[in-house]
Amino acid sequence: MRRLLAARAAQAVLVVAIVATIVFALTHLAPGDPFAAAVAGGQLPPGERAALVARYGFDRPIAEQYGIYLRNLAHGDLGWSFSRNLPVAATLATALPNTLLLMGTALVLSLALGIAAGLLQAARRGSAIDHGTSAVLLVFYSMPDFWLALMMMLVFAYALPIFPVSGTIDPVMHEYLGRWGRIGDRLHHLVLPATTLTLLLTASIARYQRAALLDAARADFTRTARAKGLTARAVLLRHTLRNSIGTTITIVGLLFPALLGGTVLVETVFGWPGMGALATSAITNRDYSLVTASAIIGAVMTVAGSVIADVLTALADPRIRER
Amino acid sequence: MTPRRYAAATLALAFAACGGDKRASNAAGDVGGTVVISLVGESDFLMQPLISTTASKMITDQLFEPLAEFKPEMNTMGDKGFAPRLARRWTWSPDSLSIAFELDPRAKWHDGVPVRAADVKMGFDLLADTAVHSPQASNVAEVDSVTVRDSLTAVFWYHARSLDQFFTAAYNVIPLPEHLLRNAKRNDLKSDPFAKAPVGDGPFRFVRWVPTQLVEVAADTTHFLGRPKLDRVVFSFATDPATAFTRVLAGEADFIEILRPDQLDQVRKAASLQAKPYGGLDYGFLQLNLRDPKRHALPNALFGDRALRRALAMSLDRESMVRNVYDTLASVPFGPAPRSLGIADAKLRQLPYDTTAAKHLLDSLGWRDGNGDGVRERAGIPLRFAIAVPSSSRPRQRFAVLLQEQLKRVGADVTIDQLELNTMIGKLMNRNFDAALMSWHPDPTPSSIRQVWTTEASRAKGGLNFGSYESPLFDARIDSASKARDVEQARALYHRAYQTFIDDEPAILLYEPELVAGASKRIKLVNLRPDAWWADIRDWSIPADQRIARDRIGPGRAAQ
Repeated sequence: MRRLLAARAAQAVLVVAIVATIVFALTHLAPGDPFAAAVAGGQLPPGERAALVARYGFDRPIAEQYGIYLRNLAHGDLGWSFSRNLPVAATLATALPNTLLLMGTALVLSLALGIAAGLLQAARRGSAIDHGTSAVLLVFYSMPDFWLALMMMLVFAYALPIFPVSGTIDPVMHEYLGRWGRIGDRLHHLVLPATTLTLLLTASIARYQRAALLDAARADFTRTARAKGLTARAVLLRHTLRNSIGTTITIVGLLFPALLGGTVLVETVFGWPGMGALATSAITNRDYSLVTASAIIGAVMTVAGSVIADVLTALADPRIRER
Repeated sequence: MTPRRYAAATLALAFAACGGDKRASNAAGDVGGTVVISLVGESDFLMQPLISTTASKMITDQLFEPLAEFKPEMNTMGDKGFAPRLARRWTWSPDSLSIAFELDPRAKWHDGVPVRAADVKMGFDLLADTAVHSPQASNVAEVDSVTVRDSLTAVFWYHARSLDQFFTAAYNVIPLPEHLLRNAKRNDLKSDPFAKAPVGDGPFRFVRWVPTQLVEVAADTTHFLGRPKLDRVVFSFATDPATAFTRVLAGEADFIEILRPDQLDQVRKAASLQAKPYGGLDYGFLQLNLRDPKRHALPNALFGDRALRRALAMSLDRESMVRNVYDTLASVPFGPAPRSLGIADAKLRQLPYDTTAAKHLLDSLGWRDGNGDGVRERAGIPLRFAIAVPSSSRPRQRFAVLLQEQLKRVGADVTIDQLELNTMIGKLMNRNFDAALMSWHPDPTPSSIRQVWTTEASRAKGGLNFGSYESPLFDARIDSASKARDVEQARALYHRAYQTFIDDEPAILLYEPELVAGASKRIKLVNLRPDAWWADIRDWSIPADQRIARDRIGPGRAAQ
């Protein structure tokens, strides 16, 4: 187990270093600079642009900029966000919790719903319930995330104005609500984006869970359990599910980058001030430090998701734990 | 959960929200209420010398009073078009090289300290100080200094006379509290707490700034010019125009500054919303590069020729293009000054849309289709060029396609180069382009034309005259106009300069959008000024019977 974690940690450092280098190169080699549009828009005098370019070191050779960047990164300094006039770390500190809340909620709900749907289908294999659930899941599985987000918004925020269209809170009212009002406000804003992500992820998890359960149902240990006289319910929950859950956890680990990508789009559609919205705005503003930091955070989250999946799989399966 | 249960849950939430209100308003009449303004983009600072975004300008204009404000007619030449604000009167020196502003003694900062002449001087000093690196420093270049004559009189001293002298003082210099900023580190002003939580003297006072979300301001109920009608204004930030608009559509916000044509249709269909046109100062044009993109010392093989530029302009049906892209929400410009500026002249001599004449002119210049491929050539050079267009602008992309189609009819081969905005501006800055679809938002004064079309703007490093149009005649007329002794003389000289521009055709002026704001019908909007729709927010109101939950909470609320 320790060896597994050590190997994963080494891989994580390598992946993050490669991502940081590629993103740094791509952002800095693109033509133009972050202040050009402000000059053309009349918001910045041309002379001031030159001063800003010099102040942030964009006029230095790219190798020198890269060296400075690596040195700062090694010291935990992610740089200065000139589009937000804040240290990058402080900017991330406001956005990352929002993303983790959204992703965490969607992950927990989709795992619960996906496993439940998989169990239901496996228990009723070949029935109308199995076929109907498969059809519904297929619809969500093949649906583009941004489209589902837009439809959710159209139906539940516009046609039936039940939920807010954007944000994590009602910025106008929130400050003046009581404690329960604030909690309610936060949950109210979480419903649409979290439901969108949950529906998308549930479809994948349920499909994999059903397949894994059906595989396990044909295994020798299942036959043995049935031969012992256990009820179908006990066989399914105690033996088949437990032996198939590892596959689902692994799949969730692999789905993590897709979840992250989906979160970016869902955050953008719902104006959710998380990492997705932050990265989009950073790219638009050519905020080099923020773009690179966002990519690093994305890489770290992906690697962390994979490591957590490995650990959970090991915990669920003693055979892997003992390797 | 069924829709009915959703509704029940929402209702319960609404009750919980109401139950949690810390305060309740008892306001009546037209005083009271909250307006939520949905903005794309965010403020950077709330202190005039540092701001570089329009959102910041909108907010600081609520927090700080200018010395004087121009009237809706938008005559910014001289001082006749201005009304007193912080200054109750002003006097010119006999040589017109200084103006003494006498401040209203009733004016106070929001911390209770009276506004004094030293504050005017502080406002100017911070703008002009090179240590501050103010993005607006060049706006006050014609001011030599500001001195304090007595506690209520500040004197602006100028290098030279011009019709913009008063505008510069009244519009570009915002007094700042000297008692709070005298010890501020000018080379690190951005780190000063005042930059993001200022103490102003305007109709609204600063309440809070939630980064990436909002800035809230509340009525200064003791303001010396009378309290604003609204209790508070919330500037709510969105990262993209679609989200900003959806908030208004869903009732989460009350106002959005610009509606696209498709959004305008939605607003007209929505029972709770109103559309309000207010002009605008923007204009769009096809920028032609008059210099060779690779060897800048040489004229452009195509656009270096004035006659060719005129022929291309004559081959374009600009009216139909504008209708196609904007329907009735834009017009073809009269010249390089937008209609809202009040100086635009409908009588200027325009090049006609005449493809036959355009073809004859091209023939006479030697541009002929010798090989029958549909593209004209001269001396082996095809009449072929690329139009750069920002990928973020749908209207300009549509204009590019229409230009391509119309120019093809006279034998010009145009390719469309869609570029990310910063990349495109980078190419323009380096003068490395053939033609580009550009849009410009000038300052609300005729002399702002210097920023884009003069030789100075062509030759300055990073100057905005990307096409390198350099006309001594045009420059001379603009110089004379800005130094004229009276407004009528200036107006005539500006018109002659505009005519020179149209005759030279360094850029093909295409459209002047009519900006339309979207707002909740419960808001009574007053005078959306073309250059700054937010200038009179203090006079907006919400009738008592139209108020909703958010109107009844928060600071600054009206008391009966």
